[in-house]
Amino acid sequence: MSRSRVVLVDDHDLFRSGVRSELGEAVEIVGEAASVAAAVPLIRELDPDVVLLDVHLPDGGGHAVIAQVAPERPGVRFLALSVSDAAEDVIDVIRAGARGYVTKSISGADLLDAVRRTADGDAVFSPRLAGFVLDAFRSGAPPIDPELDVLTTREREVLQLIARGYRYKEIAGRLHLSVKTVETHVSAVLRKLQLSNRHELTRWAAERRLI
Amino acid sequence: MSSDPYRLPLAFPRLRRSEDEGAVAGVCAGIGKSLGVDPTLPRLTFALLAFAGGAGIVAYAGAWLAVAAEQGPPPSSRRRLLGLVALAVAGAIALRGFGFSDSLIWPAALGGAGILLARGRSGAPLVAGLSLVAVGVFLFVDQNATASDPIAAFESSAAAIALLLVLGPWAWRLAAERDAERTGRIRQQERAEMAARVHDSVLQTLALVQRESGDPRRVATLARRQERALRAWLYPGPHAEGAGLASAIEVAAAEVEELHGVPVELVRTGDVPLDERVEAIVLAAREAMANAAQHSGANEISTFVDVGEDELAVFVRDRGGGFDPGAVPPGARGIAESIRGRMNRVGGTAVLSSSAEGTEVELRLRRQP
Repeated sequence: MSRSRVVLVDDHDLFRSGVRSELGEAVEIVGEAASVAAAVPLIRELDPDVVLLDVHLPDGGGHAVIAQVAPERPGVRFLALSVSDAAEDVIDVIRAGARGYVTKSISGADLLDAVRRTADGDAVFSPRLAGFVLDAFRSGAPPIDPELDVLTTREREVLQLIARGYRYKEIAGRLHLSVKTVETHVSAVLRKLQLSNRHELTRWAAERRLI
Repeated sequence: MSSDPYRLPLAFPRLRRSEDEGAVAGVCAGIGKSLGVDPTLPRLTFALLAFAGGAGIVAYAGAWLAVAAEQGPPPSSRRRLLGLVALAVAGAIALRGFGFSDSLIWPAALGGAGILLARGRSGAPLVAGLSLVAVGVFLFVDQNATASDPIAAFESSAAAIALLLVLGPWAWRLAAERDAERTGRIRQQERAEMAARVHDSVLQTLALVQRESGDPRRVATLARRQERALRAWLYPGPHAEGAGLASAIEVAAAEVEELHGVPVELVRTGDVPLDERVEAIVLAAREAMANAAQHSGANEISTFVDVGEDELAVFVRDRGGGFDPGAVPPGARGIAESIRGRMNRVGGTAVLSSSAEGTEVELRLRRQP
């Protein structure tokens, strides 16, 4: 397998060096940036496979990096990383186009898996993000666009299993699906999250302020 | 912001009595110096004023009391106050001597006293001083406006407006500065609270981490606990009130983490208020988490709390070695009593599944009994 070219964007040196040593030789870390201003030209220049993106940066959120880079570099995939639980921040970065969200307490092996998955174009749902999405699509208010504002039963089942700590492969086994199908469901959820009624989600996030 | 925002600009900048060059107490020499004129001029003025009912003599004594010498300590506040009173009296005498009527002198005295009182103060003295000024202005306008002479009435009104023009900007600036000061004070309080919080929690944790750096598991537990506490403080959401299922499970998870040193990754959606039945599911979940922490050998436990429309569900999962539920001796109270029995009593279910991949306990409870 060819090694993914990765750019790290995080304002904490300590965290960047930790990630570098954890990912080790498995990926090629081609660049690092500590701010939005530094990250945008760097990513444009390097055109990496994956950008590991801190949700919080001193000169703006991770979503600002995606918004400035994505139109010109559609092949670059972003994976959001955070210690924060504020739902608005996570919503912003996912909506901007990140392929997933993991917390910084993630183990090295899981992070590597998440990077590979991101490079393959799959959605990466941590248990926390799954819980957050389930909450966001909680039934209650009538859907504005049923295609986008409602999760299918299958999607809901998949998300619940992710929230319970199951991996895609285990979920596939449990629901008698292929891993590819599980990935398809998760990607569909991500797409809904990115396209569904923005107003509703933002209002929801403001009310909850928590995942 | 200046150190003392309420001071009126001084009429005499840096006025000091020049005892060395003075003839009596150095008052006139000092005034001359601070105004940049020959001391003869103030001396002449005081001498002239002495003829106006003795005002010059009283004024000189007042200045001697109130003004600090170039060398030596500033006057005590009592001495200073006495001096200022003497100056005010001198002013009143002088005005009378020049033929001004009482209707000008008393308001002027009140206004002057008010300004002196308000100067350099805040709070009650400031309000009292400004009130005195206001009363002075009112008396002045009242007494003069009722005079039969329309020109006198006009003049007094003009004088009142002029006074307002002089004092208005000052009062305005004062109010603005008070606002700025209040904002600053609030910010400072927030800062102090933040510092206290960081000191009580983060610094203590860091100290513990240094001492226990040989035990990675203990260090991880300390870090998790600190993270949880800080997060609860930074993002106080609806879960933080402490009355619902979500926060009760969170507390239970924290206890298990601390007791057994295994991190619990907690995910929750929705919340319900606690009652007897909901408490049962919390206690059962706590037992399940404690079992997983103690016996599974896993280095992390995943707990998912799902509040559905009809049903509450809690899933406790570990990736430990798993075990054969049938092989657990019947006397083992944990699973039989604390989990299954507890759930059954409130009409819920507990399902345990275990394999080489790990163990999961599913607790389910219908919301309506």
